[in-house]
Amino acid sequence: MFERLTNWSRKRSPWVYHINASSCNGCDIELVATLTPRYDIERFGAVLVPSPRHADVLMVTGVVNAQTKDRLRQVYEQMPEPKHVIAIGACAASGGVFKGCYNAGQGVQDVVPVDMFIPGCPPRPEAIMYGVLKLLGEVK
Amino acid sequence: MSDESKRREESAGLMEYSVENLVPFGPIHPALKEPEYFKLILEGEKIVQVIPRIGYVHRGLEKAAEQRPWMQNMYMFERTCGICSFVHSLCYGQAVEELTVFQVPRRAKFIRLIVAELERIHSHLLWVGLMGHWAGFETLFMWVWNDRELVLDIVEAISGNRVHKSMNTLCGVRRDMPEGMEDRIVERMKYIVDRAHYYREIIDTEETMLARTEKVGNKISQETAQKLCAVGPMARFVGLRQDVRLNDPYAAYDEVPFDLVTRTEGDVRSLLRLRLDELIVSANMISYAVKHLPDGPFRVRIPNIIPAGEHSSHCEAPRGEIFYYVKSNGGKIPDRVKSRQPTMANIPAALELLKGQNLADLPMVLTAIDPCFGCMDRMSFFDTESHRQWAWSGEQLRQYGIKHYFPDRISAAPALKIGEAH
Amino acid sequence: MSQVSMQQLQEYAADSNGKVSTPRKGEMFIEIDQAHIMGFISHVVNDLRIRLLSTITGLDLGQNFGIIYNFSHEDQKIQVKTTLPKNQPTTVSIVEIVPGAILYEMEIHDLFGITFTGNPWINLKLLLPDNWPADLPPPLLKSSKPAEIRKRLHLEVERKNE
Repeated sequence: MFERLTNWSRKRSPWVYHINASSCNGCDIELVATLTPRYDIERFGAVLVPSPRHADVLMVTGVVNAQTKDRLRQVYEQMPEPKHVIAIGACAASGGVFKGCYNAGQGVQDVVPVDMFIPGCPPRPEAIMYGVLKLLGEVK
Repeated sequence: MSDESKRREESAGLMEYSVENLVPFGPIHPALKEPEYFKLILEGEKIVQVIPRIGYVHRGLEKAAEQRPWMQNMYMFERTCGICSFVHSLCYGQAVEELTVFQVPRRAKFIRLIVAELERIHSHLLWVGLMGHWAGFETLFMWVWNDRELVLDIVEAISGNRVHKSMNTLCGVRRDMPEGMEDRIVERMKYIVDRAHYYREIIDTEETMLARTEKVGNKISQETAQKLCAVGPMARFVGLRQDVRLNDPYAAYDEVPFDLVTRTEGDVRSLLRLRLDELIVSANMISYAVKHLPDGPFRVRIPNIIPAGEHSSHCEAPRGEIFYYVKSNGGKIPDRVKSRQPTMANIPAALELLKGQNLADLPMVLTAIDPCFGCMDRMSFFDTESHRQWAWSGEQLRQYGIKHYFPDRISAAPALKIGEAH
Repeated sequence: MSQVSMQQLQEYAADSNGKVSTPRKGEMFIEIDQAHIMGFISHVVNDLRIRLLSTITGLDLGQNFGIIYNFSHEDQKIQVKTTLPKNQPTTVSIVEIVPGAILYEMEIHDLFGITFTGNPWINLKLLLPDNWPADLPPPLLKSSKPAEIRKRLHLEVERKNE
């Protein structure tokens, strides 16, 4: 019963850590826009935290180049269980427009397991919110 | 020279001007030999040396451009940066167009100007909001980004997208200006100008912003800014009349009246005032341009083979001068494309601004140059006094700065002390 | 840019054995050989006060490397070109004349392997990842292939069919 309670409170208030893994900043600014009054993801309880050790959900943007790959892996390992990963944008899903570039990955799933992809270049704030809420089971 | 500034001179090991040849970059501190992150050497609280390491966003675009057709490259280079994406595609386009015999239609030049200035407004508003966020003034961040949404509405109505507008094509723009937008744009620009005046007042009077920006940042002279090849607001905030729109007009900048904004104080607060004033100028330019939009075609179709030659072009991005060089061997794909983002040009000047500053001022000074990379995400430090090494995320650095200036403020997560890593 | 400055520039170029060409309005290419490059750039920056170095571009020209110092001055773009042989990719740094050149030279060192002697930070990596193998040639050479670089940087991952 205690577990159901913690699950319920986790879903009601996901603590999110955001990492920019070689992103052009497009997805990041749309993600930050979800915090602003017009979209206001905080009314769903989502809060950005300063350290992965406090986070339930990891939001990754960017194409993950050789320099950020280890950092992403490290951050994922620092997160306590249970944890979820959301890959935002086309670059995080497949490398996007940079697929084939000499220092570009092919998607975040090569580095950490991903629970939700939110496609777009960049996805609109509404799309990001939809993805986060769907992951949390708020949207059927 | 006062005692305090003499002490600062002596402690700022990075910027040792060797008298003989005035090279401002000193030898590397041993702890920096294998830099992993944007690394800082401290002496207690004072910043002594900073080595930039911008490999975090290096993806290999210039190499990829040599294997993709001319038109495709435009949309790839657009995604160099999400905040100034239009001006990247504009600069690349201009460099390539000059190699052809085709002229860009006048209507397209005006539309390019309108979208470029809208991008400047959105970028400056984004930046003012971020400055508020880093200073600990969340309300400013929320209000400014809310107003920014109104600008993005206009951008979306014109181009279909908020961030990567993909408006440019070679020798024109991809979409015409929609019918009946003129009044809406003019009205919205009036609103933005009013809000910019209001924000100007806030940064001149509000306590948080004053404390964190007034006289913050090592003051640099015009001579230093020129030696370090600073561009954009980093040159204009010490009084240099340097702006590509003025010096070497492109698109429709020779037809639309334009006031250059410069300041002389040389601190972080003058950058805030400068960018807000520029925003007002941009809004007025947009209103003028939509009222005087010429008729005619908005693009010219050109063959996909670009004649041989080399050409370079520069534009005034929100952050400063952006520079592209292209070389064609007469084929369907380029031989060489070189792109120089404005932030890279401003890093040496940023290092000079950080000379002798407190760690608590680092986030404000670095954000003040309007960096275009995610390098603020993580930094590592080495304190020469305690010999401790540690790394912080951008958020931890931000909390440290706020706690230093406003020790009584309650925050959700406790700020870390120097030397503490989480 | 004034007629007088343009003329002086062409005179300096002639003094340094340089070749001037103006293929388009607003752009001037000046080819200078390695022996005269420092002297010429010193003239350009200190005497003619052409201060803004927009960037330095590296080129792979087959047998040689090309280096273009891209200066922007008022309405002119002044591109100072020089070449150096691939088997001896070392040239002199202009950091003493133009301190703002420091990162541009580091970038060319990363991407082409050209060493600029006199640049205090030339041995630091600016752009390339830390795990760049020492035996892998610089990426922007024509002979370097992105697919091979990706493999060496461990960016190619075997995908199992899901």
